[in-house]
Amino acid sequence: MFEYFSGVLTFSLIYVIATVGLAVFTGFTGLFSLGHAAFVAIGAYTSGILTYFYQVNFWLALVAGGVMSGLVGVIIGYPTLKAKLRSDYFAIATLGFGEAVRVLLENLDITQGARGLPGIALETDLPTVLVVTIIVLWVARNFIHSRYGRAAIAVREDFTAAEMMGINLFTIRMRSLVFSAVTAGLAGGLFAHYVSFIQPSMFTGALSTQLTAGVVAGGMGSLTGPALAAIVFVAVPEALRVASMWRLVAYGFLLVAIMVFRPQGLFGHQEISWNTWRNLWKRVRSCGTKPC
Amino acid sequence: MFIQTLVTGLAIGGIYALMAVGYSLVFSVLNFSNFAYGSIIMLGAYAGYYILTQMGQPLFVAVLAAIIGSAILAYANEKIAYSSLRRRNASSLYFMISAMGTAIFLENLVYATIGSRFYAFPEVLTRQNLNVLGTSLGILDAFAIVFSSVAIYGLHWFLQNSKMGIAIRAASYDMQVSQINGVNINRLIGLVFLLAGALAGISGVFLGMKYMVYPTMGWITNKAYIAAVIGGLGSLPGAVVGGLLLGVLETFVSAYISSAIRDVFSFSLLVVLLLVMPSGLFGKYLEEKV
Amino acid sequence: MKSKWIALAILAVFALTLVGCGGAKQEDVIKIGHAVALTGDSSMWGIAEKNALEMEIAKINAAGGVLGKKLQLIAYDTRADATEAVNVTKRLVSQDKVAAIIGPGQSGVAIAMSSVTEPGKVPMIGTTPTNPKVTVDDKTNQVRKYSFRTCFIDPFQGTVAAQFATKELKAKTAAVVYDVGSDYSSWLGKYFIEEFTKQGGTIANNEAFRSGELDFRAILGKVKQANPDVIFIPTMQKEAALVMKQARDLGITAKFLGGDGWGSPDLITLGGSAVEGSYFVNLASLDDPDIQKWIADYKAKYNQEPVLPNPVMAVDGLLAVVDAIKKANSADPVKIAEQLEKTKDLPVLTGKLTIDPKTHNPLNKPAVMQEVKGGKFVFKSKVVTQ
Repeated sequence: MFEYFSGVLTFSLIYVIATVGLAVFTGFTGLFSLGHAAFVAIGAYTSGILTYFYQVNFWLALVAGGVMSGLVGVIIGYPTLKAKLRSDYFAIATLGFGEAVRVLLENLDITQGARGLPGIALETDLPTVLVVTIIVLWVARNFIHSRYGRAAIAVREDFTAAEMMGINLFTIRMRSLVFSAVTAGLAGGLFAHYVSFIQPSMFTGALSTQLTAGVVAGGMGSLTGPALAAIVFVAVPEALRVASMWRLVAYGFLLVAIMVFRPQGLFGHQEISWNTWRNLWKRVRSCGTKPC
Repeated sequence: MFIQTLVTGLAIGGIYALMAVGYSLVFSVLNFSNFAYGSIIMLGAYAGYYILTQMGQPLFVAVLAAIIGSAILAYANEKIAYSSLRRRNASSLYFMISAMGTAIFLENLVYATIGSRFYAFPEVLTRQNLNVLGTSLGILDAFAIVFSSVAIYGLHWFLQNSKMGIAIRAASYDMQVSQINGVNINRLIGLVFLLAGALAGISGVFLGMKYMVYPTMGWITNKAYIAAVIGGLGSLPGAVVGGLLLGVLETFVSAYISSAIRDVFSFSLLVVLLLVMPSGLFGKYLEEKV
Repeated sequence: MKSKWIALAILAVFALTLVGCGGAKQEDVIKIGHAVALTGDSSMWGIAEKNALEMEIAKINAAGGVLGKKLQLIAYDTRADATEAVNVTKRLVSQDKVAAIIGPGQSGVAIAMSSVTEPGKVPMIGTTPTNPKVTVDDKTNQVRKYSFRTCFIDPFQGTVAAQFATKELKAKTAAVVYDVGSDYSSWLGKYFIEEFTKQGGTIANNEAFRSGELDFRAILGKVKQANPDVIFIPTMQKEAALVMKQARDLGITAKFLGGDGWGSPDLITLGGSAVEGSYFVNLASLDDPDIQKWIADYKAKYNQEPVLPNPVMAVDGLLAVVDAIKKANSADPVKIAEQLEKTKDLPVLTGKLTIDPKTHNPLNKPAVMQEVKGGKFVFKSKVVTQ
């Protein structure tokens, strides 16, 4: 029983890590990625190959996965962000990038093509993921509260104005992209050592979609909102064991509904803090005395 | 071999072009990527298939039904998912997310209700071939090339000459100014979606006849998006050229290098082209509307 | 302050989650897990599998159950997706505490699931995962203690297809068109090539495409130039039908040959006249006299023909589990696995089942060669492993 719960929670937190990274990118720069699954895949394969073939220490391999993913983020980000592609072009470029990475995974010898890597050591457990989640959330929080973070928000709101204020659009976007690539890579590494088997077909557009859906639903401009959304997206369907297609029907519906009715996302720009819960508790308690 | 590859490439490129045009049409006015387009095409294919096989109607009725069905769906899509964003003057990011949501919703709704089975149109036109310069070209391909040229040319004529078309073109440059000049923007955008939807219906029936009908068939529009970006988003001739270019490139890579790594080439072409020409071959805008 | 309401709603959902997970405990049933693709491209087979298992379990329960207890089937959808399957398996193993798991039908999914069933010590009996690595660990080459299957393996299937090509079809040259994104397809293609060249044939083309591809004319143009005697297409029904259709459109006259991925009636509806006269290896056939009564029962209950071979393989697996429970006189998964390994000459639907303790594969599993004729799958010949 506990095993199962901790399994679901571990799995949810892996999604949280990737979603928080993407929240820093999409939520704070306003660029839309259709290919973040590729970064997850790069992290998963890099760390998986290191522990599987070369018996590298798990933590070392995990970091290597994040770094590798970040490097690829630089390679893909440099031309696309330097050219100041408008967001549609950027989105389609990431779509192509996601596919291209999958093609490579299917054809390289080291990744063993479609058969994937079976029997990667089971290293990811709840404490491991918890530690990484806390680190990622802490770094993300510091990032958005730093000068860069505020600049990023300015870029999202109005990049022309931000640029006129002397903000370097490219640097800001690049840093956020690389941060999101690194976290996606870490999530991938944790995923590989949780499932213990990876193959290219696990990292399709559907994964990118789920990550983006988490950011949008949680609120673009919030960190805790997307984190909570990521947990809900994994835990609820798991608990109800609804067929996955109905889950995806709900994602789609949710995305449109949020854009139409509540574009700031469920939590908007706010963060969930102790205050949120306290206010919530007050509200629940006052339910008895006044209409709620 | 070379000529056969070229003919095949043009035939595949024609499919991309047909889809890229409808997608680019919406972009030219609303300035955002309508990622829901693929699912509208898919539903058009289902509509055509249903009318043709389950109700036993002739092909042209099926095509007509697909056109009308897709047009209505595209119109409804605009009214439900985009019009309130438009009124709020939201940034294109919000439009794209809404469009993606629509695509995920429709596709999985079909999965959940109709199911994941594959359906094929009856073999009416598919099995006949033309001989062109010693190469074989499916009669369906020839039909598609002729038909899509007519559709694309018709659309072009409409945009150039009709009053509504001129209004659309004006709106695509500046929506506010054209509104001040008495253009009913809501009606106009509705019309654009009806037109794009009609094209989606044609594409859907055609794809269904050429290949098959299934819930994720709309994914082939990913290629159309890439084609449209290569050609320059918002430009109809660009969409056609981009589609043909991508189709020929892919076929040559498949035939002479490897089919398995073909998509890496398409993507590299996209990135290189964007570096050299950030707004594609015939693109209109470089900067995003603020 | 809308966000507070939303937070409240989320809290409520969490509470529901806990309730939903708390499931009632029953001591008087033996739970059999079923990891199966009920949605997605493979759902046709998956749904038939589930139907067949439900029918068989109802029959066993009506006859008094096993060890005085009723059997209960717990089926979860894997979507034929490895990640989803791992979650499903965790739930079956650590929450539902099933005695054994029937399924899955896909090799990649089975390999992923074994990362849960091996440490969890619950036997898993795959229905149609034909890759050798499903029951044997890739790195250590040791048999996986808790992984079993009731189907033959790909090297055998590839061999049967290649020998059929050289001996029956008298083919000298062959082309292979396979899906590089599918482990099943790329391995089966490889095994075919090995045997075909061993039989003295030449491989004219070995062409790969990516999963989801719709247009194969670019690679078929190359195949046409090489003009092989047969084209081996080790893919699922959708790609196979499209490849055959487009090959005929290009004027290719070679014979088509395939594996058990073809065995869906969809092949004929999708491929039309192009698939006529092609052959494929399958695990079971509707014409098999041994299973006529079972097919009639299935038809009577569900009002349709079963989509072979998965339901037959699943029932074989269930019968093996029931037998193991009886012999172990316990529903303890570890003891069931011990007995499963010793399964010998057990009468099951497709004949007699003997499990090889060294590989956990069934011994002497026959392959059925089928021909597409007059819009139907027609039994051609039966090949037995040496």
